[in-house]
Amino acid sequence: MKVVVDTARCVGAGQCVWVAPTVFDQRAADGVVVLLQAHPGAGDRPYVREAAELCPARAIRIEDDDPKEET
Amino acid sequence: MPVAAGPTGPAGAAAAPRFPFRRGCPFDPPVEYARARAVQPVCPVTLWNGRRAWLVTKHEHVRAVLADDARFSGRFGQDGFPTVTEARVAVDRDERAFVGMDNPDHDRFRRMFTQEFSVPRIRALEPAIVAIAESLIDEWVAAGPPQDVVATLATRFPSLVMSALIGSPHADHRFIIECAVARHGLTQTPDHARAKARELAGYFRRLIDAKEAAPGDDLVSRILREHVLPGRLTRDEFAEIGAMLLRAGHDTTTNMIGMGTLLLLRDDALRARLAAEPASIRRAVEELLRYVSPVQFSPRRVARVDVELGGVTIRAGDGLFLLLPSANRDEAVFPDPDRIDVDRDNARHVAFGFGIHQCLGQTLARVELQVTFEVLLRRLPGLRLAAPLAQVRFKDDMQIYGVHNLPVSW
Repeated sequence: MKVVVDTARCVGAGQCVWVAPTVFDQRAADGVVVLLQAHPGAGDRPYVREAAELCPARAIRIEDDDPKEET
Repeated sequence: MPVAAGPTGPAGAAAAPRFPFRRGCPFDPPVEYARARAVQPVCPVTLWNGRRAWLVTKHEHVRAVLADDARFSGRFGQDGFPTVTEARVAVDRDERAFVGMDNPDHDRFRRMFTQEFSVPRIRALEPAIVAIAESLIDEWVAAGPPQDVVATLATRFPSLVMSALIGSPHADHRFIIECAVARHGLTQTPDHARAKARELAGYFRRLIDAKEAAPGDDLVSRILREHVLPGRLTRDEFAEIGAMLLRAGHDTTTNMIGMGTLLLLRDDALRARLAAEPASIRRAVEELLRYVSPVQFSPRRVARVDVELGGVTIRAGDGLFLLLPSANRDEAVFPDPDRIDVDRDNARHVAFGFGIHQCLGQTLARVELQVTFEVLLRRLPGLRLAAPLAQVRFKDDMQIYGVHNLPVSW
């Protein structure tokens, strides 16, 4: 799994940080998303998928996601 | 008089009932929403002024429209922007905060404020929020039962939290609530609504002046230093945004605390479970947000171009209500939607809206609700309703749903 964030679209709602705080953070200056891990481990992946699904600005994209490959 | 704009689709006048509808059961949205989801999920209605608008009732469509800024505008006050009251027309026309803006203006202003409500910032505030809740329950315990949840907890708690965050005097909270109610009611006059909106912006403008003279560790002082003094934000723009924050920070959380507490008091098994497993309160809050969906008649949009949605053609210029209480009871996403089920997959609820306008204060609201229910259940395990349900007055007269009173004992 590779996570890509679009900081231009982000509106700082914070849903990603709320559900996956080990993968996403918010910039101190303007609350815009900060990606902490572009290749999250198996334990984080379900939360990353949920964060992408919940993002109100559609600013999180997941590439190369194979749900079966949970290693 | 201009010709009334609004949907002119396949359904005729007889098929466009007057909106808003009345609730049957106080805990469920009007039955018309469920019927619409089953029969015609995007359906025309007639508004107070004879204009037409579309109701968007399904979760899928609500999210799609709110995420589609290219084809739908959220700019308040434009021709065709739908309203539920004449007073709302007046406040929409006067709105200067980013809640009523499209991009690029919306993002430019919102980004000056997002860090104040970010997850790390709210997490850092959490101990102070817990202390405020504990102090209110201390007062209850000292005074003894009965107490009214709405008067003494649901209105004061968010107000004290907002005061601590913004730096406004808590003593002013009755005035702030009065201004919020003047905007969110369904029965007020346009003059009253407009006057209260101006008074609240004027109040915030004076708060800005006071903080400029004597800065503190609060939102107003930080925004002054980071955005006003460098010339990115004028004091008047800040005053309008500040008024929006005060209104939003008081009314919505207040109503979720009132309704949420009532729902917990009606469900002994849920209350026992949350008391035994405080970790499940986080999930319970999401389910209560889904189930209650206090915001009734927002968000709204106007189509910029002709759009096919849910089997109808929406014409450019038509107004739409994105019905969050209906989307959150959509059986396609939430099976058996009228049941409170803490274990269901409820993360996709839209109680805070969706798209670029999704609630700025949602993390603060979540933490306030979690803290309220955790403290209530821990401190007052015998909490119970102190009057028959018939004596609880529901807010059918407001645009933000909840209860006007909730007498409890313990």
